[in-house]
Amino acid sequence: MVKRLKNYIGGEWVEASTDNYIPVLNPATCEVLAECPDSTYADVDQAVQAATAAFEEWRSTPVLSRAQYMHHFKNLVEERFEDIARTVVEENGKTLDEARGEVRRGIESIDFGIGVPLLMRNDGVEDISSGIDETTVRQPVGVFAAITPFNFPAMVPLWFLPTAITCGNTFIVKPSPQTPISMDLLFELLDELDLPEGVVNLVHGGIESADAILKHPGIAGISFVGSSPVAKKVYEVGTAHGKRVQAQGGAKNYIAVMPDANMEASVRNILGAAYGCAGQRCLAAAVAVGVGDAYDKLRDELVKQVANLRVGYGLDETTQMGTVVSQQAKERIENMIQKGLDEGASVVVDGRGYSVDGYENGTFVGPTIIENVTPDMTVAKEEIFGPVLALMRADDFDEAVDIINRSKCGNAASIFTSSGKYAREFKYRVKAGNIGVNIGVAAPSASFPFGGQKDSFFGDLHGQGADAIDFYTDRKIVIERWL
Amino acid sequence: MASLNTFGAILTYAANLETALRDYYQQVGDSERSKAADKRRQTMERIRREAVVEITLEPIEGLNEADYELALSDTSASGQQAVEATAARFYADVAPKINVRQAQRALERAGKEHQELAG
Repeated sequence: MVKRLKNYIGGEWVEASTDNYIPVLNPATCEVLAECPDSTYADVDQAVQAATAAFEEWRSTPVLSRAQYMHHFKNLVEERFEDIARTVVEENGKTLDEARGEVRRGIESIDFGIGVPLLMRNDGVEDISSGIDETTVRQPVGVFAAITPFNFPAMVPLWFLPTAITCGNTFIVKPSPQTPISMDLLFELLDELDLPEGVVNLVHGGIESADAILKHPGIAGISFVGSSPVAKKVYEVGTAHGKRVQAQGGAKNYIAVMPDANMEASVRNILGAAYGCAGQRCLAAAVAVGVGDAYDKLRDELVKQVANLRVGYGLDETTQMGTVVSQQAKERIENMIQKGLDEGASVVVDGRGYSVDGYENGTFVGPTIIENVTPDMTVAKEEIFGPVLALMRADDFDEAVDIINRSKCGNAASIFTSSGKYAREFKYRVKAGNIGVNIGVAAPSASFPFGGQKDSFFGDLHGQGADAIDFYTDRKIVIERWL
Repeated sequence: MASLNTFGAILTYAANLETALRDYYQQVGDSERSKAADKRRQTMERIRREAVVEITLEPIEGLNEADYELALSDTSASGQQAVEATAARFYADVAPKINVRQAQRALERAGKEHQELAG
């Protein structure tokens, strides 16, 4: 019997008010893992009511006590680490190492939440005027919600929830209906904490529940991660309904490879950046720009190393690249490759029609390299979100920077070089929120904001780091005099 | 036999190797060595959880399980030395392939302990 997921509202597991259930598939085996309710406005409203009711008591719970809950939560996640990682593999298709890395990153965010008592401190000045003191205090805002994507089903919600609630807010998570089970498991652990009822809430679902979150008057702010068009819409609709919104969108991340780069080591890292999580991450390397003489060496080394990549089921620990998330994603990625070829690119390594013995129904796309790509082609402009690396040529460093800066996205960009001068120029001139120097996946750790510029981010305050504290609190200025 | 081509595969192999040694020494009645092996197993599992970050997820080449099979049927003193020598060689080979210092240190320390037991 396949498990029917429930929502977690007001400290209880409750059935959603819907008859529509979405099957959650293991993309490697096509096995139905669970059924996810397509929750309605009424379900979101129920969660908002519970979160609102919990807010006053929770905000007056001392911040050190709130942080203690996160200590306990971290311990529970550590205890169930392997179970969570395996669940991520089963519903998402990534490899076990990638899933473990995801859970570890999630724990880093819980660690950050534990540090909130320190981070919520503010400043003050005595005698700002004669006998008058002026101080700043941070206060929680109210009910926040997160709408999170399929590609990091355990990690992304943890970017937000621990910091938001330790700041004194109450919270609602709506995970992707494609990968809801990891969050279901994490909520089982949250349930063990005996938090006051309504502090954390889980609402499963798709478009209707997301729309309800964007428009519900009881929600003060929204954290979102997803594609750029949806991020833009979330920002527009959310802010139009009076909410603060941080909406992290899609990406088209470029890597510049200079002739002085250590090619063998660079390519080993670029492989991880392009094909890790089967290219389904917002920091994935999508285009590698070979500068001058670097192009041919880069191409040859990539072809050589990609041949050794082992594609398979993520729970097999020798697998180095897993599936993409769904049949629909596989078809979209393969169509994008074909579109590139139709527009004049050529395929060097073709991952279309890829099959793995024993998993013939799995949604595998093999690692793909296409070349002769120009900036005007669809494959250079649009996010593919799959294991496809496009190769472009640039005559010199300036042209490479120009190509990168023409992208409408600005999530991340990396340079591979042994020159400090080029590295510095790259950091200075490239318009992207996360910059890697000899690092293909420029992923900020939890204590730094997750950058993002242009169409990769809509809002003012990013997820993670000091931005998260600002996002989840209001600052109140107190000017006082005693007569 | 599958190759040891990922961070997780190597750390899982190390944990399994230590589990096998824990049971082996239990069988020969050496509780001290059995306990030490179990402690190393726990360390390997902890490192697998804690040290897995993006930079470790580069492909790893040139390591195969078949090269490190333990001959556990021989419980004689020389058999024990041979088992320890194999374990020491495994750790010596894998430590340089892992690009996270915390993990490398744990692997090097385990290798040193096995080397001392190998004589």
